[in-house]
Amino acid sequence: MPEFSTQPLFDIARRLEIRGETGWLAVLAPVTDSTTNLDRLQTELQSILQKPARVIELEPSTFEELREALHQPDDDAVILSSGTGLTQEKWRSLDIMRSALERKGPVILWLATGDVANLTEHAPYIRSFIGASIFLAGPDGGIMTEAERQERLNELSQHFGFTGDEAVRKAQARELPHEPELVEWLVLLGRGDLL
Amino acid sequence: MPAVFRYCALNCFATFENRTYTTHMPSSVTAPEGQLSRREKFRAYMQAFNPTAPAVDLIQAGLVIEDLHQSLYRNLAGRADLEPGSQQLLVGGVGSGKTTELLLAMRSLESQGHILPLHIDVSKATDLSGLNTGSLVASLGLKIAAYFGNGVGAYSQDTELKAELGEPFEKLWIYAYGKIERVWVPSDDDSPDFDDSDYEEGHFRIRKIPGKLRPPLPSLDREIQDIREPLEQFLAAAKRRGKEVAVIFDGLDRLLDPTKFWSVAHQDLRLLRQLKVSALATAPLSVLFAAEVGQSIAGEFDRVQHLAVITAGPDNACLRSVLEKRHCSELLNREEVDTICHYSGGVLRDLISLARDAGEEAYVSEHDTITAADVEKVIRQLGNGYLRGLGPPVINALLELDQSKSFNVRLPHNIELLLTRRVLEYSSTDFRVHPALLSVIPRPEPKRA
Repeated sequence: MPEFSTQPLFDIARRLEIRGETGWLAVLAPVTDSTTNLDRLQTELQSILQKPARVIELEPSTFEELREALHQPDDDAVILSSGTGLTQEKWRSLDIMRSALERKGPVILWLATGDVANLTEHAPYIRSFIGASIFLAGPDGGIMTEAERQERLNELSQHFGFTGDEAVRKAQARELPHEPELVEWLVLLGRGDLL
Repeated sequence: MPAVFRYCALNCFATFENRTYTTHMPSSVTAPEGQLSRREKFRAYMQAFNPTAPAVDLIQAGLVIEDLHQSLYRNLAGRADLEPGSQQLLVGGVGSGKTTELLLAMRSLESQGHILPLHIDVSKATDLSGLNTGSLVASLGLKIAAYFGNGVGAYSQDTELKAELGEPFEKLWIYAYGKIERVWVPSDDDSPDFDDSDYEEGHFRIRKIPGKLRPPLPSLDREIQDIREPLEQFLAAAKRRGKEVAVIFDGLDRLLDPTKFWSVAHQDLRLLRQLKVSALATAPLSVLFAAEVGQSIAGEFDRVQHLAVITAGPDNACLRSVLEKRHCSELLNREEVDTICHYSGGVLRDLISLARDAGEEAYVSEHDTITAADVEKVIRQLGNGYLRGLGPPVINALLELDQSKSFNVRLPHNIELLLTRRVLEYSSTDFRVHPALLSVIPRPEPKRA
């Protein structure tokens, strides 16, 4: 069975952020803890993209319901969840209505394991929007040891050319751009409250 | 920056609710110039290579190569202009650039001055899977009506407009969306009349008469004639203003089954021909290759234009120009450009996607430009997407095609391979396995002697 690249949810959100907060992407849900991971993805998207993220169940939404949900509003992040998987017929009908699914904000398909085959087979128009952006939701690397944390803090400090204290001061003065690495820095400094 | 990424669970600390400061935040951080310019460079690149960007935006931004298909759009527009009532079909696979060609044709028609080209993406407005006879002309009627006045309000409030087109508008509206009417239902229709009094027992019932844009609908030939008169009145009004209407139906290619496509389009296009309205429409590849049904459909059109996959050629000049138009050299070197061109197979959307995804991969991998490894990774991803769900018999058939170059395009399961882009059509006799898919197909172990 072909394998897709495993990506931490944080990186998936980062990918959308660098795209300019638009575009389509598919994430294969882990077999266990799918609901927990879906919640986490939603939170990561909100944190990184700085905009609301909604989860919409593809089943049993009708054409009208889905179109309305995607366009009111049309600029937030939307995760379209296939739940435990969609039927071939549902994929076909979604494919036919792809134009109605197009929107300003990003669309993330949260798929069950069997969905990628159905997506390619029965929804070629949606698949063409996704291109190579199919990822397996992976672990985030776990909790760092103190040594690893210090090492990463040093890297960030060297890279940006200022100290952690200065980063905190800039965040307090609201002078720190909202970039993923700077978010990471504040969190590693224990100042997630400044985000 | 070294690619050391072991993030702690950021979301434990950073929640959306407690973040308020970033809006309107000045970007006065004193980070090294390299970092910010790197991010901005990648962002600009990613935006130029957005495979889901609306074609109309790309044309306006000058990111489209207009003569990519030998200026096909000029031919489409020319015929629509010179031959009112002509019907042209644009057939192409997913991501081949059909919408872009149609929009370029529309712009060309607009520039003539005397043409009113109307672009209708049918699948955007209504549930295409439930469409039936009459839906296309209903959509066209509403589009022309919108040209004269914005919404129902305009036709009831603007006295001049109401006098000129109020009645046909109402008919169009009912035809499209249906109506609700109150009908008297006698208590007992069979009861004999005992006297001559006007009083009759019974009640009112609300009856909904469905419109054409609310599927499912019965399909009756005579029904399409109901819209002829109001549509004619609108077309005459356009003529009085010096405009000939030409219509572009986009999105019909989503109806992958040619029989379904034809059931939606057949009678509507016949009416448009009678009304001398030039029509351009997209259609799925199956119209071109499905045996009898496809041929009979193609025979109904004045021209069937196949938008084939672009042949890469030895120097990839054509495909490379698409990437260069979007300033790929900011992040891609010549070698990687050639690799992306080759593995796109000449499918325009795959070309743009691979370029974008390679940029994204480089960004998250902390590379300053796109490396060969980034490109290789996204090609593998794309190939794996195509490979998912294929069983051994299909894989063997694909390997056979790669070896023999022989492909029976009339077989239904082979048409499926074309529709899903696993096999690409470079001409009516040249079929090849998508190169990204071919690169990940597991090869059988060589037999030991």
